[in-house]
Amino acid sequence: MSEAKEKKDVLQGTLALMVLKTLDVLGPLHGYGIARRIEQISGDLLAVNQGTLYPVLLKLEQEGSIASEWGASENKRKARFYRLTQVGRRQLQTEKHDWDQTAAIIARFFAVRAEELK
Amino acid sequence: MKTLRRFVRRLTSWTRTHRDEERLRREIEEHLAFQIEDNLRAGLPPDEARRQAMLKFGGMEAMKEDYRDRRGLPALETLLQDTRYALRRLRNSPAFAVTVLLTLALGIGATTSIFTLVQAVLLKSLAVANPAELYRLGTEARCCYWPAYSQDKEFSIVSYDLYKHFRDNTQGFAELAAFQAGGALFGVRRSGAQGSAQSFPGEFVSGNYFTMFGIKAYAGRLLNPSDDRPGAPPVAVMSYRLWRERYGEDPSIVGSVFNFDQKPVIVVGIAPPAFFGDKLSAIPRDFFLPLNTEPIVEGDDDLNQPESWLDLMGRIRPGAKPGSIEAQMRVELKQWLRSHWGDMSANDRARFPEQTLFLRPGGAGISSMRDQYEHWLYILMMVSGFVLLIVCANVANLMLVRGMERRRQISLSMALGARAGRLVRQALTESILLGIGGGAAGLAIAFAGTRLILDLAFPRVPGLGGVPISASPSLPVLAFAFSVSLLTGIAFGIGPAWMTTRVDPIEALRGAGRSTARTGSLPRKTLVVLQAALCMVLLTASGLLTAALRNLENQKFGFAQDRRTIVSIDPRLAGYQLGQLTLLYNRIHDSLSSISGVSAVAVAMYSPLNGNNWGGGVWVYGHPAPGPRDDNFAFWDRVTPGFFDAVGNPILRGRGISERDTMNSQHVAVINEAFARKFFKNEDPIGRYFGRPGASPGSHDYEVVGIAQDARYLAFDFDKPIGAFFFLPAAQYDIFNNGQTEPDPGSHFLHDIVVVTAPGASLSLPQIRQALASVDPRLPIFSIESLKDQVSGQFTQQRLIARLTSFFGLLSLALASFGLYGVTAYNAGRRTTEIGVRLALGASRMQAAGLIVRGALVLVAAGLAAGLPLTLLAGRFLGSQLYGLNPYNSVVIMTAVLTLGLSAFIAALIPARRASSISPSQALRSE
Repeated sequence: MSEAKEKKDVLQGTLALMVLKTLDVLGPLHGYGIARRIEQISGDLLAVNQGTLYPVLLKLEQEGSIASEWGASENKRKARFYRLTQVGRRQLQTEKHDWDQTAAIIARFFAVRAEELK
Repeated sequence: MKTLRRFVRRLTSWTRTHRDEERLRREIEEHLAFQIEDNLRAGLPPDEARRQAMLKFGGMEAMKEDYRDRRGLPALETLLQDTRYALRRLRNSPAFAVTVLLTLALGIGATTSIFTLVQAVLLKSLAVANPAELYRLGTEARCCYWPAYSQDKEFSIVSYDLYKHFRDNTQGFAELAAFQAGGALFGVRRSGAQGSAQSFPGEFVSGNYFTMFGIKAYAGRLLNPSDDRPGAPPVAVMSYRLWRERYGEDPSIVGSVFNFDQKPVIVVGIAPPAFFGDKLSAIPRDFFLPLNTEPIVEGDDDLNQPESWLDLMGRIRPGAKPGSIEAQMRVELKQWLRSHWGDMSANDRARFPEQTLFLRPGGAGISSMRDQYEHWLYILMMVSGFVLLIVCANVANLMLVRGMERRRQISLSMALGARAGRLVRQALTESILLGIGGGAAGLAIAFAGTRLILDLAFPRVPGLGGVPISASPSLPVLAFAFSVSLLTGIAFGIGPAWMTTRVDPIEALRGAGRSTARTGSLPRKTLVVLQAALCMVLLTASGLLTAALRNLENQKFGFAQDRRTIVSIDPRLAGYQLGQLTLLYNRIHDSLSSISGVSAVAVAMYSPLNGNNWGGGVWVYGHPAPGPRDDNFAFWDRVTPGFFDAVGNPILRGRGISERDTMNSQHVAVINEAFARKFFKNEDPIGRYFGRPGASPGSHDYEVVGIAQDARYLAFDFDKPIGAFFFLPAAQYDIFNNGQTEPDPGSHFLHDIVVVTAPGASLSLPQIRQALASVDPRLPIFSIESLKDQVSGQFTQQRLIARLTSFFGLLSLALASFGLYGVTAYNAGRRTTEIGVRLALGASRMQAAGLIVRGALVLVAAGLAAGLPLTLLAGRFLGSQLYGLNPYNSVVIMTAVLTLGLSAFIAALIPARRASSISPSQALRSE
């Protein structure tokens, strides 16, 4: 149970980063659009239930990283649009930095092991 | 989609922040609409497009919960939600809810009402300041009078002189108070008021008694040390109860003069309402008088007698160690005894080295009631605990059935993505809710039950205070009931809740409710076995107690009960002096005998099973003086001529007490058979002499003139053989050769008149009252009751315990049978097809029914087997309360087994017959 929860947390953290980056690149977008974009970019590598996006959106909005309002979509549907706030932009930068760092550290670990094996 | 939308709406309708939910709902709808549109564009047929969209979106329920968890106060909201959901589910099945609530209320009510008594009798402190600072002398409650210079095991009560020695020398006590161990009955009449005196219980206490307890007067003032000096004007403190009930809180009572046994005493104040004295007793004290008024009021100077008659309790100084005070007091005791070396008998001196004392926490008072009822209360606590366990098992069974019925619904929830943890929580919420509901109803039952038990156990004497135990739940009782409810809620809910998580959605959704037939069967069977085992214990216990009670009531008492009426009086309260008594008894005899239909009248200090008796040492003339270890104890009674005929106690040899035994004739005694066996062994007792060491210096005081058949006079020691007993004439005063005056003047104030009516004649109360009034209108009559009632009154508490246990036993039998019925019906229902096949293949209906019944009886047999060792243990626990009845009484155990077996058989037969009456084709079609 606890193990499963940890996995989800990691996943949600990543998902939040993806949402922020998507909004950064594409500007204001509704939930479905964000989901589609994440799907497109990640391909089949990430099998995420689209539903899980909404709790993440709520969390980000509560944190003030994004804001939302009702608007009309491209095909005249009423939809809730999310956009990045100033706070969100800063958060994206920090998280990107953190992420890069983590990735670099992990990469270095793997590199060290590979050398040793030789 | 429609179903989903409805489901979504339903889910949202009962959340608090409707708006957030609404927003989420719309977003989900939009999201799905986008996806469906895309899917349609990609060329999927509409149905498939929707399905794919839903699949892609994933578990709706889990997502929503996740969503909600991120909002507001999720824990509280979930709790509210679960509660609301549980309430709605319970509303939907009222039969289930009511059954469970009632069962629980009975179980929790029974436990709580017994706990109320346990709390009041065993745990509660006196209503005084800082009860934890109070320490008392002695480990047990002793009554009345004990030897002055040597006591068995410990010095538990002391003389006035020893009290003063301790008070003046023990520095560790801020206050050390003394008060009468036995209590007194005063004939009280307000000065100037009309009518005869009424008797009220009271006690003599030292002047610092109330200071030691740290309590303040409700009105007027309480006693102080200056009241407790020789020559101080006699004063008294009245209980709040008496002041309110009899005098309507009349302020003029404070400061007015009351006659106590004809002696004027000023009531100076009223004790606070919650204060019921230093001990919990069935009849709380109504008057408190200073020790030094004792010689004035009672006329027999106990104060300066060497006898021990005072309990001690003290408030220790802050920081003082009770252990070191105890050690110091032991030294003081030895010093005091040594300073009285000259007063001590040879036996006292021989026992000097072993004399010691103990100091114990006294915050709960000196409770003889605790010593008396502790064991009973533990028995009742165990019994009600067992009932509660059976109730839990039963409710757990009901919950399991409910779990089975709800399996499909749970499967659906899980298929929709509900988390298992949440479902368990919901099931638990439901059971805890039921537990608390049952607890609330149980409190009401507990209140009524406690009231009823108290009324039955301690019948209130009109005009006197009832036992100071409140039936209304106190804070600890409320806490107890609440925790019991919560625990039971969890206890019976956790199993079924856990089982819900083991549901495989696919299996359940497959349709047939029979697919996972085996799940849940084992726990339910275990519960039935447990119930049967507990039920057997309770049935046996109630059987044993009932049989013991019957033995008690139907024992050979050795005296006649029919046509005997006991009139209880007290000449002392009417102001009689020792010298006037013989005349008074003669006049009472003549006056009552003149009523038509009365065939005999006699007066005695105590009538049979009156509840009290005097006793002391015996020294037979010609035998060596009894040593300190010799058992020379015998009980005794003082009676007027004709007593033995009046109570129907046959004289086996010699004669009874007669008119010949006057003040100046040879002092005589009639002994019982046990006395003859104990003190004379093979010698002929008639014509021999004995004395009472302690009361007289010699052993030539009484000549044995008759032997009475053994009879039960004592209202205690029922489990022991009848002990040594002797009877002295009321007319003879013990004035011994050394010129010592009557040592026991109190024994001449006889309490009980035995009135015998001729067969067929009837005697009315006014006739008796009139006859006594013609003797002396001031003579107070305490009670008039038949000897039969007096005898059965001795067994009130045993009867109550036996009835309560029987009630609990039958309740548990009903619950266990109900549980077995449920399990059997359920199993029979599952085996419908099997039965159909068997019937089709030629089995008879009997055989089919037998199959089901056998399954049920196997469970009960397992329960009985498990219950047997428990039963034997319970028997041992009851042990001393059975008055000599063998706790492993095979008749009782067999009866319990048969009763349980028969009920189980009937409980199993009903569903078995129903199952086997099905037609084979119908059974097979139901597949």
